[in-house]
Amino acid sequence: MSKITRRTAIAGLASPFILPHSALAQVDNRPSIVIAVQKVSNSNTLDVLREGSNVGERIFFSSLWEGLIGRDWLNGLGKVPLLATEWRRIDDTTLELDLRKGVKFHNGDEMTAEDVAFSFGPDRMFGDTKPSANPKTLPYSERIPGLGAKEVPQEVFGVARRAWPNLVKVEIVDKYRVRFINGSPDVTLEGRISRYGSEIMNRRAFVEGGNYIEWARKPITTGPYKVAEFKPDQSLTYVAHDEYWGGRPPVKQIKFVEVPEVSTRVNGLFAGDFHFACDIPPDQIALIEKNPAFEVQGGTILNHRIMVFDKNYPVLADPRVRRAMTHSIDRQAIVDALWAGRTSVPQGLQWSYYDDMFISDWSVPAYDPKIAQDLLKAAGYKGEVIPYRLLNNYYTNQVQTAQAVVEMWKAVGLNVEIQMQENWSQIMERNQTRGVRDWSNSAPFNDPVSSIVSQHGPNGQQQQIGEWTNEEFNTLSNTLESSTDRAKRKEIFRRMLVISEREDPAYTVLHQNATYTAKRKSIKWKTAPAFAMDFRTGNFSL
Amino acid sequence: MIRFIVSRLARAVMTIFLVMTFSFIVLRLSGDPALIIMSPDAPPEAIAAFRKSWGLDDPIWLQYFHYFAAVLEGEMGRSMRDGRPALQIVGERIPTTLLLTLPALLLKVSIGIPSGVYAALHRNSRIDRLVMSFAVFGFTVPSFVLALVLVLVFSVWLGWLPTSGADSWRHAILPVVTLGLGGAAVLARFTRSAMLEILGQPYIRTASAKGLAWSAVVRAHALPNAAIPTITVLGFMVGSLLAGAVVVESVFAWPGVGRLLVVAVSNRDLAVVQVILLLVALTMVAANFMVDLAYGIFDPRIKQAAPGGAK
Repeated sequence: MSKITRRTAIAGLASPFILPHSALAQVDNRPSIVIAVQKVSNSNTLDVLREGSNVGERIFFSSLWEGLIGRDWLNGLGKVPLLATEWRRIDDTTLELDLRKGVKFHNGDEMTAEDVAFSFGPDRMFGDTKPSANPKTLPYSERIPGLGAKEVPQEVFGVARRAWPNLVKVEIVDKYRVRFINGSPDVTLEGRISRYGSEIMNRRAFVEGGNYIEWARKPITTGPYKVAEFKPDQSLTYVAHDEYWGGRPPVKQIKFVEVPEVSTRVNGLFAGDFHFACDIPPDQIALIEKNPAFEVQGGTILNHRIMVFDKNYPVLADPRVRRAMTHSIDRQAIVDALWAGRTSVPQGLQWSYYDDMFISDWSVPAYDPKIAQDLLKAAGYKGEVIPYRLLNNYYTNQVQTAQAVVEMWKAVGLNVEIQMQENWSQIMERNQTRGVRDWSNSAPFNDPVSSIVSQHGPNGQQQQIGEWTNEEFNTLSNTLESSTDRAKRKEIFRRMLVISEREDPAYTVLHQNATYTAKRKSIKWKTAPAFAMDFRTGNFSL
Repeated sequence: MIRFIVSRLARAVMTIFLVMTFSFIVLRLSGDPALIIMSPDAPPEAIAAFRKSWGLDDPIWLQYFHYFAAVLEGEMGRSMRDGRPALQIVGERIPTTLLLTLPALLLKVSIGIPSGVYAALHRNSRIDRLVMSFAVFGFTVPSFVLALVLVLVFSVWLGWLPTSGADSWRHAILPVVTLGLGGAAVLARFTRSAMLEILGQPYIRTASAKGLAWSAVVRAHALPNAAIPTITVLGFMVGSLLAGAVVVESVFAWPGVGRLLVVAVSNRDLAVVQVILLLVALTMVAANFMVDLAYGIFDPRIKQAAPGGAK
């Protein structure tokens, strides 16, 4: 054993200051990893407001983009301080946040209130859209000059305004404090700040950078990893952001490679080409885990698979027929047979992370063929055809699930006919042959407004494309959005569930969606109950 | 000859026009790019804004008119996914695809033609049966199955080659072999049957009876005459250099034109699809044109019979 002398101790302490940078780089023995995914980004951009998909969630959080309030990815997805350390309500429409000091962007700039205000400003987020409850927006004189060439796509403003329908402005109080000012009372402001799309970007990089697409391929943010290279439809490479406020990231480089075929992802994992293989279908799990060197992690995510009804279709106009459909589905059988029991039947269109807004005694309609048959008899259903538009496995196990459900419907006397379609516009096309279709619903933040109102309310997709509407439900939706009485809000939510899942079904929930990631067992890493992959300090070692 | 070339060019222009018109109509009528690109969960405001930005809310005839007016001015349009020029996007992928398809073509020719000739010259021998067994195997096994078998053996079991990607020359080996073996099988079968037919002709017997060495008979009389069907098949292979590797590129995650085509069609990214189809049509037309010229070289009677041929 070598003896530590005074000289060697001095040399050891001094070496970081004497060694050249190249030598220091050589001692960086953090691993580089390769992750095979089905798709890196649907939009070919890395802009949170343009890439609003599950695959975006995986590459963005918590590696690249960070918001003021974050989610506890590994522990229940609750709200946690991120770029803001504290927040408080000034009144029903105003929320004040203290920013974390010393946060460095990837370009070395310190994050200040100016970056936050810009991230929620008209040049970046809202364009000329106006808050619906208080229709005024920042005049042009308050905007950043010289952004004409940036040409932010108009749909970005549409996405942002839907996420923040009544936000008037973000006001700078001082360098490290901001106020969110809403046009109407909103108990969900904190939730909206934590949602996908409310992340903070570097103002200087956006203003001084090239055109929108150049920026959107390499956004400057505060996350623990920064973009080194993005090859659309091919790969995305991150490198560690060593000035990250949360500590030096444990991985030197993360490369997401796009491998569309499941078999190639699995083979690549076995061959040692990849450290992780994502988007593993349930029927591959047993095969992978046969090899003791590998394991499959994952499980339910904040997304429910549902079936949606068009109540304008003549047979479905009678709610008793739709109710019969909801009672004749054995959801647990689907979970057991097609998902190997690795997901669950949720308690309706809600998630337990709603906290006090979660209705714990609610459930999906009971599987009871007798009730279904009685309802069909009462409705005078005579076996008329009900069209069911279906995509070829857009969702995992979609076709198999549809076939199973159609057989269950057949067993109670329902004549449902599958019509395979190629894309979503064919699925949603408004005509006389639209009866039932598949969909999935997420909850971007922990309140029913983020799901039942957003997707089935008066401005939600289902009503916008003319499938379903209900006057009482719409009135309740508006109240749920603006009320600040939490007890009253919970009762409103319960009534909305009763209407949309029991009395006048708009949809029926099948099961919670799930995602699975295969990896080498030797990698110490824990998956989140989400698409997001957390590679921050504390959740990775090799 | 000039009449021949002009008529071929006119036909080529008509072919390309029809390809672009049909693909425009089919892609536009079979799906709304806004819903597909923005995802079904996108807010209606965002979808409406997207449609307006790309002129998708115009009547289809007006979209068609705008599109062709732009094409005639040399503007091939932009990708609706990220706004980049479609020509640039496709252009970036062409070298990557050619890195696979050109060596594969070489492999097809260097294996398929000699083995077909050899099998014909040794008809009903063990080698003939062996070659034809391989040919039937290569001809009938789908490329994605062959690809997965090769990956399993050479990547997973032996660990010699990477499973997917395009980072180095080693990544190209398995996709090239997959493409090459299938094509070689096709060429071997065609070459063998063409050779067998020619070897049965009276002029081959005459040449042998005149005392010519068998190798000279084969080289001077059999091979040129048997080349016509092989050249036809080769023409198709050259024509599909750009988009003939769709399946193989998907299985090996090879970022070429084939994979781009799959993504662009599924997203109804019209400008990108149109540029690819235009290039494929041009390649195919050019390949057919060269095949027609080659026919004349190998069989002067065809040149004589062609409109504008020597009279």
